[in-house]
Amino acid sequence: MKKLTVIMLSLAMSIIAGSVMAKGDQLLDQTHFEKGIKCASCHGNAEPREAVTMMKCVQCHNTEKLAKKTQDMQPTNVHNNRHFGTESDCLSCHHVHQTSENACVSCHPRWGFKVP
Amino acid sequence: MSNGVKNKMSKDNSSKSQELDQYTASVLQNGISRRSFLTRAAIGTGGLAVAGLGVGTASATTAPVVVGEQFGEVGGATVSFLPKPIAIADADIASTQTFDVIVVGAGASGVPAALSAREAGASVACLQKQAFAVSQGNTGSGVDLKTSDKSAVEALVNRLMADNQHRSHPGLIRKWAYNSGEAVSWTIDRIKQGGGQVEDQGTEPQHGIHGIADKGDRLNFVTSFCGPKPYTTGDGMRALAKTAEKAGVKFFYNTPAKQLIQDKSGKVLGVIAQTRDGKYHKFMAKKGVILSSGDYQNNKAMCDFFIPDLKNFERKQQDRTGDGFAMAYWAGGVIEPVGHTKMLHDFDAGPASMCDMPFLVVNRDGKRFVNETVEMSLMNNYLKDEHNAGHYSQVFDADYMTQAKDWPGHLYSPEELKNYMPEEPGEKKGVFPSIANTYKADTLEELAKKLECDPKNFVATVKRYNELCKKGKDEDFGKKASRMVPVLKPPFYGIHRRMRISTICSGILVNENHQVLDADGKEIPGLFIVGNLGGGFYGGVDYPLTVFGLSLGRCYTFGYLAGKYVAGLKA
Ligand SMILES: Cc1cc2nc3c(=O)[nH]c(=O)nc-3n(C[C@H](O)[C@H](O)[C@H](O)COP(=O)(O)OP(=O)(O)OC[C@H]3O[C@@H](n4cnc5c(N)ncnc54)[C@H](O)[C@@H]3O)c2cc1C
Ligand code: HEC
Ligand code: HEC
Ligand code: HEC
Ligand code: HEC
Repeated sequence: MKKLTVIMLSLAMSIIAGSVMAKGDQLLDQTHFEKGIKCASCHGNAEPREAVTMMKCVQCHNTEKLAKKTQDMQPTNVHNNRHFGTESDCLSCHHVHQTSENACVSCHPRWGFKVP
Repeated sequence: MSNGVKNKMSKDNSSKSQELDQYTASVLQNGISRRSFLTRAAIGTGGLAVAGLGVGTASATTAPVVVGEQFGEVGGATVSFLPKPIAIADADIASTQTFDVIVVGAGASGVPAALSAREAGASVACLQKQAFAVSQGNTGSGVDLKTSDKSAVEALVNRLMADNQHRSHPGLIRKWAYNSGEAVSWTIDRIKQGGGQVEDQGTEPQHGIHGIADKGDRLNFVTSFCGPKPYTTGDGMRALAKTAEKAGVKFFYNTPAKQLIQDKSGKVLGVIAQTRDGKYHKFMAKKGVILSSGDYQNNKAMCDFFIPDLKNFERKQQDRTGDGFAMAYWAGGVIEPVGHTKMLHDFDAGPASMCDMPFLVVNRDGKRFVNETVEMSLMNNYLKDEHNAGHYSQVFDADYMTQAKDWPGHLYSPEELKNYMPEEPGEKKGVFPSIANTYKADTLEELAKKLECDPKNFVATVKRYNELCKKGKDEDFGKKASRMVPVLKPPFYGIHRRMRISTICSGILVNENHQVLDADGKEIPGLFIVGNLGGGFYGGVDYPLTVFGLSLGRCYTFGYLAGKYVAGLKA
């Protein structure tokens, strides 16, 4: 429960601070919250809260369309790569309540993607 | 050495014990299986302390032992990498389909297995964990029997046994040697049919085979090459999957196999797989299941257990969690004993043909650490610690084209080297730009920084090395004078290589038909294994590079053979 309180609290705080916070540093929970997306859209309505898998993300984000949208990314399009095609596990890079990470960099040390 | 196996064998299976080859007998005695746990644990009630005592002294009668509820056990210890299949109720099965043959894993061995079974008339499903067929590498080889003498082929078998520190199964090596030409040619043809980019390079790329065949004997190869980079065998297998799909193989992507279905007698009847929505599906096999799910490099606990040497190395692959090992183990299969064979390479940082050239080599501290005639493929053994973690750099100066011109290998000119230099602008061809790692600098200090090693140490190392070169005596590491060329004239060059785990190539005990054997040495009906999940083909500390492309060549060959074999079984 402590975690939950922290999430609720930090969300509320960041919304107040929203206008001054650069979008690039924003966590994905706030981005989604701003678009009116409810906790349940990801976590479901059941108790205890469901763990969120990639299946949830792709219900709203079509992977083919996403790959097209970012096709000009340099040096490579993360959303259509030679290892997993358009089906990389979103959560290997994108986190929702924590800072996201770049899951390619350990093997491709010069690829400094900034993951929203 | 105990005579446990003989005892056990003569009790359980006396007719078979005579036929058992050395390799199989040894894996049955020392390998990891559910049965080996039961017998070992039965030795005493004291657990670990006595469990290590001679296995052979235990009678085969096993006292009832509580097997861990969740995991396999070895010598009384629970091992998390062998999770016991969870019970899945029939009500939770979303669909059931039946085929003659089910192939698990669409990689370098699985896709050929699926197509070959289909061509032999079977209905085939191929279950794949990832979103499409995935594999690695470029080169896969076979022996061209038409243009080779039998004595030369046998000399090659002998050499590969020696490369494997004599720990492999000669029957399996022969299986490759006498079938690989046909199988690799077939693979090339079928990749082409799928629109793939592949060619037969013949014997030319096989630099490591010189001197194996006796004078006058012929030894020739079919060397398939899917490339040049960034095109790889992964792309090749995707082309092959197209051919297979056209031929009628049904592929199920994003559908990892989770467990095998067995009847009471132990016969394998099929596979339960899971789709991304969490649902389970049954795939029933009338003739057999072929597991080809690859190695376990991304399963840390399993690596720590079987190859502790790997602790600090980075991986090259993803999602290779050893799923097939757990499935085969719980079906009664035997995992080769601790001391598995590893493959750690870097052909990408600089030209592959320069990787074994014995230029000055330094570690991350900027210090010399080895006689540089040690091959790149073995260098990992000197760089196992956390700090070096497989990193080293080859260093040479502006005169390398003349100084090293007589060395084995092939030199790239300064102009050609630019293709491997991240700092050089322009498009790179025939390489992976993101992992090419060659640098040039006008001073040693500057080069050291680019190679990410300590500049002070580096300068001192070069100074010392130059002195030894001048003396013509390598008093530090004993390298021959002809291989001692100084680093004097700018610009200086460095190739920063990272030895990472390409693959692990030890696996589950199988016979020459690729059928899995249980702890009694008996075939498990309906269960077959090909690719790196299969045991018996290697055995040394490191994968041998004598035959360039042996690994993929063996995967294609055994896939091709097993597919045909299983398709030919009675339903
Ligand atoms: C960068 C690199 C370069 C290499 N270059 C060469 C080379 O030039 N020549 C050479 O001979 N060897 C080379 N190798 C080694 C070679 O790639 C491997 O030995 C070979 O691919 C092994 O084939 P495999 O069929 O056993 O496994 P893989 O080709 O790894 O295929 C296994 C497949 O099974 C799937 N899978 C895993 N678990 C499951 C499951 N539970 N259910 C369903 N599917 C599953 C995986 O997604 C994967 O596609 C290289 C390796 C690397 C990493
Ligand atoms: C866009 C999808 C998404 C939305 C919307 C979302 N979450 Fe999450 N949540 C995740 C993911 C993914 C994780 C796993 C950790 C991470 O990525 O940050 C997670 C983890 C958590 C956790 C910690 C793990 C657990 O289950 O105990 C809590 C608590 C949580 N979320 C609460 C919330 C609450 C409250 C909301 C609504 C304000 C919310 N989440 C909205 C995706 C989401
Ligand atoms: C209920 C629908 C919904 C779900 C579920 C959902 N998203 Fe989103 N997401 C959106 C919308 C709407 C936006 C804002 C518009 C856009 O960029 O597409 C968005 C935006 C994003 C962005 C862009 C952020 C930025 O700064 O540009 C990322 C990244 C993202 N989502 C990732 C995820 C991940 C990862 C998951 C799964 C854990 C997920 N989403 C689940 C609807 C959803
Ligand atoms: C390798 C890490 C990685 C993975 C895996 C990944 N993303 Fe992204 N994602 C990124 C990066 C980096 C960006 C920023 C793209 C840019 O700079 O244009 C991004 C951007 C996005 C955006 C915003 C795109 C836009 O331009 O509006 C969405 C939405 C998104 N990702 C969703 C997903 C979903 C859904 C998945 C899983 C199917 C996924 N991502 C997988 C790294 C990743
Ligand atoms: C576990 C290590 C590993 C990770 C993590 C990894 N890669 Fe790779 N990648 C490799 C290897 C090894 C190669 C070269 C051989 C091959 O094709 O597999 C490669 C090659 C590539 C190439 C072609 C080579 C080049 O330099 O252009 C692309 C594109 C690529 N990876 C994209 C990605 C993306 C995007 C991610 C993150 C989602 C990623 N990789 C994560 C190991 C990795």
